[in-house]
Amino acid sequence: MSTIELRKVTKRFGSFTAVKDVDLSVAAGEVVCLLGPSGCGKTTTLRVIAGLERVTDGEVVVAGKVMNNLPPEKRDIAMVFQFYALYPSASVAENIAFPLYHDGISGAERTARVNRVAAILHLEHVLDRLPNQISEGEKQRAAMARAIVRDPNCFLFDEPLSRLDVELRQTMRGQIKEVLQGLSKATVIVTHDQLEALTMANRIAIMKDGLIEQVGSPHEVFAKPANAFVASFIGTPQMNLLEADLKTFADGTADMTVAGISLAIRTDAAVARLQPGKVTIGVRPRAFTPTDTGDRGTISARAELIEPMGAETLIHARTAAGADIRVVVTRSQRVKVGEALNLRPDPRQTHVFDGAGKAVRS
Amino acid sequence: MAESILGKLGFRRASGVDEAGWGRTLAVAVVAFIYFLPVLFIIFTAFKPQGDALLVPPTLSPTSLFGLIPDHFVFKPTLENFGSVFSRSMTPDGAPEATGFDRYFFNSIFIASASVLLALVIGTLAAFGFSRYPLKGNDTYLFIILTTRMLPAIVVIIPVILMFRVVGLSGSYLGIIMLYTAFNLAFTIWMMKSFFDELSPDVEDAARIDGSSGMRVFFKICLPQVIAGLAATFVFGLILTWNEFLFALLLSGPDTRTVPVAMNQAVSSGGRGTDWTLLAAIETLFLVPVFLVTFFLQNHLLRGVTFGTVKR
Amino acid sequence: MTAVSSTLPTPRFTTVVAHNWKLAIAVAVVVSAVSMAGLPAAVSFWVVGATAALVAAAFTVNAYRRHYFGALLVAPAIAVLFVMNIFPLLWSLGLSFFAYQANQQTIRFVGLGNYVRILTNDLAAHATWGALINTAMFVVFTVSAQMIVGFLLAILFAKQFPLRKYLLILVLTPMMLSVVASGVFFTYYYDPTFGILSYVINSISGNQFILMSNKVGAVAGIVFADAWMWSPFVMLLVLAGLVSVPKYLYEAAAIDRISSWRQFWMITFPYIRGLLMLALLFRTIEAFKLADLVILLTKGGNDTLTISYHLIRIANEQNKTSEGAAISYLMLFMVIVLTNLYLYLANRRTQGA
Repeated sequence: MSTIELRKVTKRFGSFTAVKDVDLSVAAGEVVCLLGPSGCGKTTTLRVIAGLERVTDGEVVVAGKVMNNLPPEKRDIAMVFQFYALYPSASVAENIAFPLYHDGISGAERTARVNRVAAILHLEHVLDRLPNQISEGEKQRAAMARAIVRDPNCFLFDEPLSRLDVELRQTMRGQIKEVLQGLSKATVIVTHDQLEALTMANRIAIMKDGLIEQVGSPHEVFAKPANAFVASFIGTPQMNLLEADLKTFADGTADMTVAGISLAIRTDAAVARLQPGKVTIGVRPRAFTPTDTGDRGTISARAELIEPMGAETLIHARTAAGADIRVVVTRSQRVKVGEALNLRPDPRQTHVFDGAGKAVRS
Repeated sequence: MAESILGKLGFRRASGVDEAGWGRTLAVAVVAFIYFLPVLFIIFTAFKPQGDALLVPPTLSPTSLFGLIPDHFVFKPTLENFGSVFSRSMTPDGAPEATGFDRYFFNSIFIASASVLLALVIGTLAAFGFSRYPLKGNDTYLFIILTTRMLPAIVVIIPVILMFRVVGLSGSYLGIIMLYTAFNLAFTIWMMKSFFDELSPDVEDAARIDGSSGMRVFFKICLPQVIAGLAATFVFGLILTWNEFLFALLLSGPDTRTVPVAMNQAVSSGGRGTDWTLLAAIETLFLVPVFLVTFFLQNHLLRGVTFGTVKR
Repeated sequence: MTAVSSTLPTPRFTTVVAHNWKLAIAVAVVVSAVSMAGLPAAVSFWVVGATAALVAAAFTVNAYRRHYFGALLVAPAIAVLFVMNIFPLLWSLGLSFFAYQANQQTIRFVGLGNYVRILTNDLAAHATWGALINTAMFVVFTVSAQMIVGFLLAILFAKQFPLRKYLLILVLTPMMLSVVASGVFFTYYYDPTFGILSYVINSISGNQFILMSNKVGAVAGIVFADAWMWSPFVMLLVLAGLVSVPKYLYEAAAIDRISSWRQFWMITFPYIRGLLMLALLFRTIEAFKLADLVILLTKGGNDTLTISYHLIRIANEQNKTSEGAAISYLMLFMVIVLTNLYLYLANRRTQGA
């Protein structure tokens, strides 16, 4: 079975801990994206799976076997590197054929297989060229062809699209997803681009400082972020995280002060467990509704900057106490700079994070 | 089995680590030590008492390493050879005389550093010119410059001797420095040109558009990027010039004699056969400066060589 | 980036302005010819020098006024090379057509006589050809020894390991030794009575061992000493190539399970090929000039005379200056042919790959 499992994996470089107690399992046919800002340990995690780095602690299990001490060549994995790592002196066809030599596949069979993957990835016309004679997109596809030409235990992708331009990225995203769907292998993709993760992955693991903050489906990590970091990392424009002072909670309604404004809002029942004190309120920019009159359920702010984004408009607003709030409204709602706004957060899309940043949810 | 032994020695194939361990250090240390032995022998000879030099079997070590080395291979180290480099008696019973080696050491340092630096300045300018403002027939010029490096020194030396004699440069610092400069130039230009060729022109263009003068672009933007190349070129030039023998022999006068020439005279004069301990002492002293320079610029050396030739 | 603003009009040939270099050359030629004909050598030398300076100045001013920065930057180097290398080279090229000996005053034009003599005259040609064959032999042996040893050393040092820096400098030291000292010390190591080599072999075999007693031993001794001194140079170049290979290529090779052998040819070799060729070129040229070690170790005995040493003997010891010049030009010709062959092969390889 093509599965990957990480059990309490820790990787230290000297005194620096790059990956800390990471648990992650990838089922056959599942695509998991490791997502996080640079330096969060996502690439190290991938290299640990590949065997390019040795784990300091914990277990790496690929296809049901503990592979901690096996070198990469014994793990039977395929990987697409960030810089593609095409062998510069070999033609594209030779590059694709390289992984096949190990298994002693005959020359004719090799050619047939190379031609097959070349057809899948539209590389037929560049097979005879050298890597430095083809475009970035073709390089990316050649690197991918080299990975899928054999039947490995799993696939690993290290920032596969980071070197492509925006347009190419979109088409390649679809292509990769399509190819991977046909393979039913455990796949791990490392990326720093949330759009890539959200579109390609079955599940996303969000990492920060060597720790996995949350693992979940694209829908889950967006709708139910486990903590303030995930909440702010996923979604554009970023979620508003407002510091608040929780006063009381009764009948499903929390009474609190947000940026000097007292606010009563329905929240998750679990908020009842919190002691009064500092909390963080998370509201997505699209979860605000501007209303004409202010009441205890709205936050008043003044529009400072208007950014039309096409179908929608992004408004940067500021409360009297100086807290910045991003609001997205539909194009039809005209707002002018300097206008006073009463913003009503949608209770179902309002997240409460406790003093440590953890989501409070029942 | 074999793999595990090799693995322990640090020869395992990259399993993610491109850092081999102490096993590799041990293996390389053995090889490096064997390779270094002839040099070590010269250095040890410099510390031997004069009578020890021609013992059969030769003495090999200044210490018995806690009884590891049999006594008849051990010599008692002395510093007197270094003293006699600078002052010794020239006749069997004569009083010690100054040998003038302090002067020769100064000459070597002065001539080598002056000519290598001069070649570096002139050559870097020329390399920048060849790289950024290609002339008509650029490659031809470069090839002609390279050919000056291909000839045995003796080809040029006859006319140069005649020329120096006419001009009155024989035996002067200026003459020999100019000659060494010329001989270092070919190498400097080729090396530095490959460096300048590698630099991305974007930054330079940006600086030009911002209104920087050519001079400023060269000094503030290009030069800082080729420090490694300058260092590597300096080391190579220094090693070659420092030890150059034939030109020095034929062109230096009594006042401008360099150490290799003086060393040759010191060991071959008097007809008493080679004075091994003295020769070893001179060479050991003579090795120190160039060794130190190489050691401190070592990190640049590899980067310096790589440039240009690899990433085409 | 070349000259953009060259609005300076070309002066008429006869106009006296500082940048009229054509006029400067004409004046220089006339003045030089007159002074060489009518003045003593020591004076006319300075006159010729002064006119050369005049031409150089005219060129410089011309380049400056026309913003030929390239020419300005290159000029000092060309000037030094011209005075110290190219001019002497041309001088000795001229000498090679005359019968001239440095210790005599007479000089006589003989055309190609010297060349004919060194290539066909029984005695002289025999020595020349013998020396050339020996040189070819030394080139083959020393260069291949240096390439192999240098390459193996580089592989040893290719990875990062503790104390690498210190061990590397130990291996580089032979290159820094003065050839006088190391050459003389090799005579000591090879000495039949108190040398280490003979001592070791004597105590094993029981027979008296004299390395330098025959041609094979003498050549082996010289090749060994030369290879020992200059292998570090090859090592440095190869090592530079090895460390420049991007690490991710080896990682990809491990993932793709490529054998070490194929890994070397597909990844490592392409990166060091250029530097290997460069090392080959430099060392071949140097080996072609091999003289000092031969002088110190065998004095040309046991048929180890090289062309370069032969040249030193002819020109310096026997004072046959112009015959020496002819040999030099023969050598130069061969080196240039060799270099072009190398460049041709290197370029063809890069295009083919």
